[in-house]
Amino acid sequence: MSTTTSTTKTILRAEGFSCPSCVAKIEKQVGRLKGVESVKVHFASARVEVMHDPALATTEDLVAAIAKAGYTAKAAAF
Amino acid sequence: MNKVHEWLHGRWTVPVVSGLLILASLASSRLLDAATWGDILMVAAAVVAGTPVVIKAWNALSAKVIGIDLLVSIAAIGAVIIGEYWEAAAVTFLFAIGHALESATLNKTRSALAELIAVAPDVAVVLRDGEQVEVPAAEVITGETVLVKNGTKVPVDGVVSGGAGSIDEASITGESIPVEKATDDKVFAGTITTSGFLQVTATGVGADTTLARIIHRVEEAQDAKARTAAFMDRFSAWYTPAIIVMAIIFGLVTRDIVLALTLLVIACPGALVISIPVSIVAGIGRGAKDGILIKGGEFLETSAKIDAVALDKTGTLTEGRPQLTDVVPLHADVDRDELLQTAARAEAGSEHPLARPIIEAATAAGLPVVGLPEHTEPVPGKGIVATIDGHRVAVGNLALIESEQGHDTADDARVAQVVQELAAAGRTPMVVARDGQVLGVVAVADQIRTDAKEMVARLHEHGVKKVIMLTGDIEPVARAVAAQVGVDEVRAGLLPEDKLEAVADLQRQGYTVAMVGDGVNDAPALATADIGVAMGAAGTGVAIETADIALMRDNLLKLPEAVSLARRTVNNMRQNIVIALGTVAVLLAGVLFGGVTMAIGMLVHEISVLVVIGNAMRLLRRRKERTGTRSTDGTGSSLTHDEARVTQPA
Repeated sequence: MSTTTSTTKTILRAEGFSCPSCVAKIEKQVGRLKGVESVKVHFASARVEVMHDPALATTEDLVAAIAKAGYTAKAAAF
Repeated sequence: MNKVHEWLHGRWTVPVVSGLLILASLASSRLLDAATWGDILMVAAAVVAGTPVVIKAWNALSAKVIGIDLLVSIAAIGAVIIGEYWEAAAVTFLFAIGHALESATLNKTRSALAELIAVAPDVAVVLRDGEQVEVPAAEVITGETVLVKNGTKVPVDGVVSGGAGSIDEASITGESIPVEKATDDKVFAGTITTSGFLQVTATGVGADTTLARIIHRVEEAQDAKARTAAFMDRFSAWYTPAIIVMAIIFGLVTRDIVLALTLLVIACPGALVISIPVSIVAGIGRGAKDGILIKGGEFLETSAKIDAVALDKTGTLTEGRPQLTDVVPLHADVDRDELLQTAARAEAGSEHPLARPIIEAATAAGLPVVGLPEHTEPVPGKGIVATIDGHRVAVGNLALIESEQGHDTADDARVAQVVQELAAAGRTPMVVARDGQVLGVVAVADQIRTDAKEMVARLHEHGVKKVIMLTGDIEPVARAVAAQVGVDEVRAGLLPEDKLEAVADLQRQGYTVAMVGDGVNDAPALATADIGVAMGAAGTGVAIETADIALMRDNLLKLPEAVSLARRTVNNMRQNIVIALGTVAVLLAGVLFGGVTMAIGMLVHEISVLVVIGNAMRLLRRRKERTGTRSTDGTGSSLTHDEARVTQPA
């Protein structure tokens, strides 16, 4: 609660998860980005939770990284 | 150019290119008799379809996961090495097609949730400094006034502060009949106005809306693993390496590399891996669309085993709002009106829940209940004694009246009889006495919900063996309600800890117990039960978060629907496991006894995956039996609770 970093949590919803191994792929691609602290990919609900510094890695960067892994994702308000 | 780029990265690019190469290969070797070209094209097809598989297998391996991709990669590369180009191309091509179909259909099983997300509102029109401003829905400030026009989505959770209209709340409650809204009514983000114009004071915005809570809850539920799913995960973790070892041993022993590679392909656990998640995702998604939130796979499995349901009476089987039912004058000089007015005036200073219906009934009958009594003295467990215009008035049970000084014993037998009759009919009788003289008896009763009886019947229909009513109310009242509703067992006069004990007792008898309750006094029992069910949870965030099953609408028939959905989902999971394991067993036999090639194996295998997904998608279909549209008594489907009124005495 008292951290001063500007880390925010962004939730993205992806399309086209077909196998649990997609999880590792996306986590790797997104985790590679500068400013990304942690990535959690939920297979069943096709949801990606990213803790990141929006100044270093924007939401667009995250979407692009997921696209690089081969999936379409959209940022969600909640 | 964008279109081309999109297509190149699309779902179908790889299978289409690979398929065309296979066709070209077949054409060149058969028609042109160019065997070398045919082989080259076939290998090219295998490379196109196989490269993504090899990359995936490599990625998975670097994450220390031995998966299906690895099996297929080994098989395809092996096939190329030993010159079985057609097998290599066919296996990778079919695998690619299967994957494209899987991802397309899997998205369908997630569609119920996707629809929920789609109803999330984008923009809101708020009043700022008297002007209408359009802002993103998530940027409305709590307390601001939001304007909701006809045909638009409600952008926030809030309370109506002006205007009137009707709202389709299907996205929250699963009920598609529009609900009328007026000042002070609650509205939810994501619902749609079908008429009228509303001004709404925002109470919850963005992630703090009921819709957001539902979406979160559903996603968490879909991600939470069922016990069976966890078991299958462990199973496939050793299953795949075991198959590789088996294939190697087989290859070494028989010296038949083709057979060993074929084994690898047919043993792919694809259908097995997704058999349970697809059922859970589809089942939980279906429930969410119908206003039934289930906490997760594990709770789905437990809910499927429910064979005893414990119901709280007040507020669950009944409205929880007692109404006056009887006014019986027992004194020659006193008529109905005077009796009711006397009782109402005595109760005017009382906080007791039974005072309100008496006062309301008197007011409704045009009998003024002015001012407070000169003196009011509640007698715990018995009633109330008040002083009105210098007279001592007592309203309460027989014990209270008998303790009244100077009370006339002449009528005791008759009073006792009336009291007993009313209690036996499920009402709570109160004797009214003035200066020791019994004036008569008034009675109140809680209204039984119209759908209570049907709910109990449907629970039995869906395999619930015992429906038991738990109540703090007195025995005769409880029995009367139970008889009308048709429950199997009644336990009356219970304190909160007694309710807990009753649930625990059922569990000791071997039942899997669901407890339905609403009040704080049910909390211990709800926590003890195998499944705690909260009703009418749309208004309360806490219920959505904590209950094992949250029924968004205050509709009793949602309970049997939830039990039925849980059973169907778990059955679906079992069917999928049988399909997946059965396919592997049949293929294994087919390979060992000859006849099944690598390509056939892959084809059957991919078909089994699609069958498993298709089977799960059946859960998404809405069952014919629809809540609220069926009526056991043939009076139609109107479910206004007022119609449940206990018959008024003549």
